[in-house]
Amino acid sequence: MISLNALIRDPFSALVAWQVIAPPAALVAIGLPALVGRPLRERETTRIVAVAFASGFIAALVTLATLASQGFTAHVVHLGTLFHVGHHEASIELVADALSVPYVCFSTGLCALVNAFAGKYLHREPGFTRFFALLALFGTGMNLMVLAGSIDVLFAGWECLGISSALLIGFFHERRNAVDAAVRAFITYRVCDVGLLTASVVLHRATDTGDFAAAFAGTWPHAVCTLPPATAPVVGLLLILAALGKSAQVPFSGWLPRAMEGPTPSSAIFYGALSIHAGAYVLLRCGSVLDAAPIAAWLLVVIGAGTALHAATVGSVQTDLKSMLAYASMTQAGIILAEIGLGFRVLPLVHVVSHAILRSLQILRSPSAMHDRHELAAALGGPPGQSSWSLLRLIPPSISRHLYHVALERGFEETIVSRLVVQPLLRSLAAADAFEQRWVAILGGASRAAVASRDPRPANGGDAP
Amino acid sequence: MSVHHDTLEQLIAAAARFLPPQGPIDSFVALNPLQGFEDMSFDEAVIRASRLNRSQPFLPESEYRDHLASGRIRVVDIESELTHDLGSRFDSPLAGGRTTLGQLQLQLLLHGVRLENDAAVRWTLTESDAIEHLRDDLDPLSRTRLLESAAADANPMADAAAHGGEALEDAVARDLWHACVESTVGSRPSVVHVPPPIRHRDLIMAVMPTLDTDALVHPLLIRMVAAYLDQGVASWPMPDRDRGLLAAVAGVYSGRLGPVEAWNRGMPSRLRDIRRACDRAAMSSSNPRAAALDVIAEELGLLGIPEDHWPDYLTASLVTLRGWAGMVRQLEARPDRAPVEALPARVIDLVALRLVLDRLAVEWAADRLDHAPARDDERSPGAFLGELWLELRDRYPPRRGPGSVARAFLLFQVAQLVGLAGSDIRSLDDNALHEFEHAVAAFDDIARRRLFHLAYERRHRTEVLDSLAAYRHHRRQHPTEAIRPRFQTVFCIDDRCESFRRAMEELCHDVQTFGAAGFFSVPMYFRGIDDWHAVPLCPIVVRPGHTVAEVPEETARDGHRFRQTLRRGLGWLQGGVTQGSQSLIRGGLLTAVGGALAAIPLVARVAFPRLTARLASRAAELGRRRIPTRLEVTRRDDTRLTNGTLAGFSIEEQAGMVRRLLEDIGLTTNLARIVALIGHGSTSLNNPHESAYDCGACGGGRGGPNARAFALMANSPWVRQLLGDAGLSIPDDVVFVGGMQDTCTSTITWYDTDHIPGSHRSEFDALRRLGLEAGRLDAQERCRRFDSVPLDVSAGEALRRVQGRAADLAQVRPEYGHAGTAVCVVGRRDATRGLYLDRRSFLVSYDPTTDDDGRVLERTLAAVGPVCGGINLAYTFSRLDPLVYGAGTKLPHNITGLIGVMDGHASDLRTGLPFQGVDIHEPVRLLMVVEASPERILDVLDRLPAVKPLFSNRWIQLVSWHPETGALVLHRSPAGTVAFIPYVPESDALPTASSSVAWYRGHRGYVPPARLLAGTVPHAHAATSIP
Repeated sequence: MISLNALIRDPFSALVAWQVIAPPAALVAIGLPALVGRPLRERETTRIVAVAFASGFIAALVTLATLASQGFTAHVVHLGTLFHVGHHEASIELVADALSVPYVCFSTGLCALVNAFAGKYLHREPGFTRFFALLALFGTGMNLMVLAGSIDVLFAGWECLGISSALLIGFFHERRNAVDAAVRAFITYRVCDVGLLTASVVLHRATDTGDFAAAFAGTWPHAVCTLPPATAPVVGLLLILAALGKSAQVPFSGWLPRAMEGPTPSSAIFYGALSIHAGAYVLLRCGSVLDAAPIAAWLLVVIGAGTALHAATVGSVQTDLKSMLAYASMTQAGIILAEIGLGFRVLPLVHVVSHAILRSLQILRSPSAMHDRHELAAALGGPPGQSSWSLLRLIPPSISRHLYHVALERGFEETIVSRLVVQPLLRSLAAADAFEQRWVAILGGASRAAVASRDPRPANGGDAP
Repeated sequence: MSVHHDTLEQLIAAAARFLPPQGPIDSFVALNPLQGFEDMSFDEAVIRASRLNRSQPFLPESEYRDHLASGRIRVVDIESELTHDLGSRFDSPLAGGRTTLGQLQLQLLLHGVRLENDAAVRWTLTESDAIEHLRDDLDPLSRTRLLESAAADANPMADAAAHGGEALEDAVARDLWHACVESTVGSRPSVVHVPPPIRHRDLIMAVMPTLDTDALVHPLLIRMVAAYLDQGVASWPMPDRDRGLLAAVAGVYSGRLGPVEAWNRGMPSRLRDIRRACDRAAMSSSNPRAAALDVIAEELGLLGIPEDHWPDYLTASLVTLRGWAGMVRQLEARPDRAPVEALPARVIDLVALRLVLDRLAVEWAADRLDHAPARDDERSPGAFLGELWLELRDRYPPRRGPGSVARAFLLFQVAQLVGLAGSDIRSLDDNALHEFEHAVAAFDDIARRRLFHLAYERRHRTEVLDSLAAYRHHRRQHPTEAIRPRFQTVFCIDDRCESFRRAMEELCHDVQTFGAAGFFSVPMYFRGIDDWHAVPLCPIVVRPGHTVAEVPEETARDGHRFRQTLRRGLGWLQGGVTQGSQSLIRGGLLTAVGGALAAIPLVARVAFPRLTARLASRAAELGRRRIPTRLEVTRRDDTRLTNGTLAGFSIEEQAGMVRRLLEDIGLTTNLARIVALIGHGSTSLNNPHESAYDCGACGGGRGGPNARAFALMANSPWVRQLLGDAGLSIPDDVVFVGGMQDTCTSTITWYDTDHIPGSHRSEFDALRRLGLEAGRLDAQERCRRFDSVPLDVSAGEALRRVQGRAADLAQVRPEYGHAGTAVCVVGRRDATRGLYLDRRSFLVSYDPTTDDDGRVLERTLAAVGPVCGGINLAYTFSRLDPLVYGAGTKLPHNITGLIGVMDGHASDLRTGLPFQGVDIHEPVRLLMVVEASPERILDVLDRLPAVKPLFSNRWIQLVSWHPETGALVLHRSPAGTVAFIPYVPESDALPTASSSVAWYRGHRGYVPPARLLAGTVPHAHAATSIP
């Protein structure tokens, strides 16, 4: 299926392809021995993953240099065709252009750093191999998504990201909180994945293929949307739905602060750096759809700005380091989405990379907070003040107290979503279940009295999610 | 509800005793997590605590069995402990005199049985041939007895004959199995009544496991308490914190704005009532505690808890979030230990809040259980929850004992172990059989693990005491007055200093080392030149009355001012970036524009940690070196500082402290020309528990300043004059010098070296070189415990390794701290000098020959008992149950409020030590060997009522080591009393090694004591390297 010959003949394509081959190869190399009950030793495991990421990083740098020398013209690498029906085609394509190559340099580089960090951080931890397998899966997903030249490949990468994120949140699966948080993140992801999946179907219908080249003409960032005018807003809105979940925007933000249950290095790359910006990346990739659909663009601006305001307010009352950093990330993710909605292309890309690097450093350093705080207080000659909320002192205390309540309860986002969406849904499911059971029983010949005595009410429908 | 407030206060105070004693994490002091149980004997306490905290009292049985297999526990240890534990009951007959209780327990410990339920036994019977053969791990004696008694019986003989001769054993097994089945068939499973839990939550979960009210209450309660206690993580603090937790939370959460969840619909209105009550109390300036106590009484009534159950109910409610509750309790008792801001934290506020939320959640849960008050119910509101409580307690399921098949299988296994054949079983009457089965059942999991633990401790105790006894023949003679040591160094008693002292002694035969509590008898608040406030440096039980500040020398004032301005500017910038990156607009600009700059520190710190650290410390040192400083030790006037203390000590106070330390360690005569005092601390990056590695005797601070202050005082001519007048003369050529040992980087920093007179310069330089060299050996010895360092690492490389670890962001084991700590020797160093003690021993210098009335021993034991015992118990319990008593793995730790760490985003505060610090620890109680006669120790302990329970209840294993005869006498007695029995060494063999390195080389695990030759003779290799 994948045309190896083409790769051998074209070294540039081989370089690009290597970036999506190396991480899964590492996953197999460390995963297989673990599956048969003979996991590799710690040093070998980290070394294999390090080689994969480092070689990917070098390949990405070379690609970047080559691309820059050619003036950033898009370069499509056709790896093969998944299936082919009539005019309809689903192909496996990668694209190297001014968006994907810088991004993949940065994401692979960060993965390599986190790998180096985690090798020491997880020393002697029971889930050592599992962590690195998931990290390799994460890298696979990231590189597939970034280099994707068709929405099918992008979707595959997106799903790898989702499952590895959820599993890493639940890394300490012996703790209830961790598993609950993982399930919540997973459900949020799945709900939003509907957007991407539907968008992919719509694209396929409109262009007979999933390739981006068929939908957008020209090279990024000057691409123009060639979709029919009626389709563009639909695709735009669906992609926004997809982005909201991964980028933890209102009303899908509840999973992010809870996701801090995993080991610190995984928190750094997911919520500080890479995963939270996946939504922004997809919207950047398909940015021309937004240009063609102002409704979608404005909706994105409103949601992004709203989330930024929400997260900045909520973040200012968080009392633990990781929640505070989660909300700080969410604020910036909101701003970035708003920038994209306003029609910027290069600015959000720079913003993503810049923010991701700063936030990773902050999260990796978060256990040093006591130390840093002490140094800071010593330098300033006293504990650092609460300067940023000086405006609040002008508000009468009776009102600011209410505001504080709203912020501490995270804007009541969870309660509202739970009341308006989750509980009605659970109730309707329970009703459907009861209905089905009753009819099965009746058709099965049980007496009506026996059926009526059964109480199918769920035990604890009220407090989820 | 009119219950007197005092009663409630007492009940809550009694309940709060069981909370962990840990304070804010920036001054972490290792303390016994079961402090509240110290009035019980150790064994009883751990088991009681395990029920209250749902924790593990001992290691898992499988781990002890592994130790039994590896030889870490020996059969003789189990026999000995069992004999001692059972006493006369050891020989009480069982099974009609065919065996004894002691035999039964011994066999159960040595071999173990499989305890399974009926279904599992049936599976075992069909899928394995367990009943076809005898066990192959049988004691030969039992096997012989089995075969002999079977030989007298016709059944198995006939069976065996049918199957051929070699099948006799199998025939015996089959016959025994049939006998066991016959004797248990038809019997009903026993039903054991289990006392029902006391909280509604646990009762509800017993009938509906998915309905967990704590899962509703805890996230909210944690959010409230964390917001209240926050010391500066949030840029927007909770309003009205000065009014106490209850009033502040009631103020915030009583608003009519915003939706509430289904279970806490009633909360806003209830909190409005509470807020009004608090306001009234504040207005009338009455006791602020009264409002909370009213709420507690009212809520207990609404929950329907009968009054006689209140104590248990309050205890159980408090310990469900024991980390947070314990922190509130600590901040209530010691507001001055809050890292930034003292708050009026009160346990009763927390209890009141908790009960309000609990009651709301239980009401909601009761509704789900179809137990709600009818609309026209006119009884008191508490009646219906009370009814629910009573009903659920009645319905609480009893524990069913094993069924008949399981009993038969258990009997079958045990009978083999003690050598009972089928005929023996058949001959037992019902009573005897019942008694036998009961004896087996009574020796349950906890009882077996307890005995295993005792045996585990006995092996270690034997190893240490045997070596101490054997070493007595080899120990060096007491130094005579004629030989003056070249150096004298006083370290902290810390077990980590043991290797450092040993290294110095191995390198230099005429250095004399001492161990004293690391605050060197100088209790003070200390404010360093870069600190913004003074911190206490002394044991936490002491509140110092004096503050000592570090100030720049006259000549360096300008340089200091410049540096301060520079630092303030940099700090302002750094703070701006840190805070700004979290805010909306500044954050957007900052991250978008300058965030990429963070790539430099990110890559440097992660990829090249050692290089980065070296550059950073070089830069920091460059700034500091130009500012020479001194300590303001001597008081100028008697005005009190803002923290209520005096600035500096008077000459009399100084003389008193100097005298006290020198007397404590027995250094009153024959002082060397240089006496060094070396405190200790630990530096590591990215480690919220950093302070846990600092000096316990300095309250989780660093002891360097105390050593420096002591040296200044002891060098002062006025102090010496006063001391001389009082009969303690310090010769004029003695110079004291202070220093600090960094236990993480294995280096010593010296203070005020420019004040050392020229006459002593070259001597001091030799001492400095000795310190450097000893640091390398210390690093090498520490490195053998790190899995990631090769075993054959050289001393130089080892030093680089440990320094790299200290500076590595990713390193979760910068040092192993006190892991391994197990011994404390209170006595003269001569008795242990040259003995390899593997960094496991606190060494407290005490000279029994100069302590005629026991006063010195009294204050020594008063200090080292709680300190060393606390450290040992903190490590031991953190290892025994890393999830409850320890802080679990460090990986998901999340600093909250600058006072502690949580797992993830909303968990209980994690107390104790992280697993990465205790994974190699051997959980044994501290073995304290005191060089004093038993009578003297008894006499001294009677004068120390606060400390005595630690010894009498056996939280510490106490041994008297007679100063003249060298006889070891072991304290082993029933709880509550102190009585000694002589210790008889098991063996007098003591291995010899040329040096520490030669002895431990190639071993990762613990290494037994050995006699070392290095340093015993003047011409040892190192003596030449230290000119």
